[in-house]
Amino acid sequence: MTQLEAHQRGLLDLIKSRGDPSDDPYLRRVAGSRELAMMREIAVWWRALQLETQCYFTSRLLKRLGCFDELIVTYFNRNATSPFVEELSRDFLAWLCSQQDPLIHAVSQFEHAFLEARAGSEEAFEVLWDRHPDLVFRALEDGGNLPVPEPGHVYRMRIDRGLPRMVDSALPVH
Amino acid sequence: MRREVLEEYASLTPQVTLIAHGVGLSIGSFNDWEESYLRLLDELFARFDLEWHSEHLGFTVVAGENTGTMFPLPHTEEELDLVCERVRILQERYRVPFLLDHVIHLLPEAPAQFTPAGFLNAITSRTGCGLILDAYNLECDAYNQRFDIPAFLDELDLAPVRELHIAGGVRHDGFQLDIHSRPTCDSTLALARDIVVRSPGLRIVTYEFLKEAIPSLGHDRICSELTRIRQAILQ
Repeated sequence: MTQLEAHQRGLLDLIKSRGDPSDDPYLRRVAGSRELAMMREIAVWWRALQLETQCYFTSRLLKRLGCFDELIVTYFNRNATSPFVEELSRDFLAWLCSQQDPLIHAVSQFEHAFLEARAGSEEAFEVLWDRHPDLVFRALEDGGNLPVPEPGHVYRMRIDRGLPRMVDSALPVH
Repeated sequence: MRREVLEEYASLTPQVTLIAHGVGLSIGSFNDWEESYLRLLDELFARFDLEWHSEHLGFTVVAGENTGTMFPLPHTEEELDLVCERVRILQERYRVPFLLDHVIHLLPEAPAQFTPAGFLNAITSRTGCGLILDAYNLECDAYNQRFDIPAFLDELDLAPVRELHIAGGVRHDGFQLDIHSRPTCDSTLALARDIVVRSPGLRIVTYEFLKEAIPSLGHDRICSELTRIRQAILQ
C-alpha cells in the first residue's frame, strides 16, 4: 500500500468512525481532534439536509419518533453513501425498509417506491399498512397524533408509474 | 443529467457564457476518480460550448466509497504526480482550459513535501492548468489553522489565476466553515481586492452561495450583494 493510499483509507475510516486509528502518527493525531469531530458533524449535517428534502414523510416520521439524528449517523457510518442526492435517498429508504417498526417500515417503503416510480422505474410496488395511510400522511403533514394500528386490518397500496398519480387509494384487505 | 437542468442551461445560451464548476470528480483519490461525474461532464460538453471548467483540489472518494465531505490533498510528490496526470487527461478530453480550486483545511496539515503555494505552483507549471483562488477559503484557513495568507500569496504564482471566488459563511463551535450562506464580510472583499490587483489573468469573480441559503438571503439581498462586491473590487 502506498503512503497516499494509507493516508486516504485512514481518513475514510476516521470520518466513518470505523476501527482504531492506525499507527500513523498523523492519523492518530487527527483521530482525537475536535477538527475531525467537526468534519463528521458537517458530513452528517449534509446527509440530514439532503434526506429531509428528498424523503419528506419519512424524515418527518423519524423526527416525530425522536430517532432521526441517530439513524442518520448510523446510516452514514455503516454505509457507502452516494454523492448523488437521488441515489442517497433511495439507498437510505431501502435501508430503513429493514426496520422492525411497522410504521417506519411502511412509510419508508412507500416513499422508496414513489421515488423509484418518479425516477422512471417500470416496476409496480405494493405497500401493506397496519393502519390507514391517509391518516398517517395527514398526521405527518399537520402535526396531529399518529393513528394507532388497527388490529385485524391491513391496507394495500399500489405505487405504479402507470397510475394517474402514481399511487392508488389504499384498499382494506381482511 | 436531469433533462430539465439541461433545458434550463440551453435557455440561457447563447446570451450568457457557460462555465462548469464541479465538486464531485475527486481528482486526488489514490485509485479511481469519480467516473460518474466524468460522464456528466461528457454530457455537458457534448451539448454546450463551455469556456472553461474547474474542480476542487481534493478527494471525496476512497476505494469507491464516498467520504461524505471534501478532504484536502496531502502536498506530496506522489499526490502531485497523480493530480498532474489527471489534469492532463482532462485537458486532452475536453480541449478547454481547466482550473483547480483549493479547498479549506479543517484538519491539521498532513506531512508534506511542498508548501501549499509550492504545491499549486508545481501543478500549474507542469500542466499549464489555471487556478481559482477562493478568498473566503483562505480566510477560513487563517481562522482555523492560523494560515499565513500574505506569505501564501507572495509565494504563489498568480499568473494562472483566472477566477476568484468569494463568499460569506458561518462560525460554529469555534470554526469558520465554508457553508456559503451569508453576505460577504468587509475583510473578504479587501482580500479579494488585493488578489484582483495582483492577478493579471483574472477573468471573473464569483459570489458563491448554496441554493439552500437563497430563502434566508433573499433575492434582493443577493442582488445588492453583487453590487457591493462589484463596487468593492472595482474601486
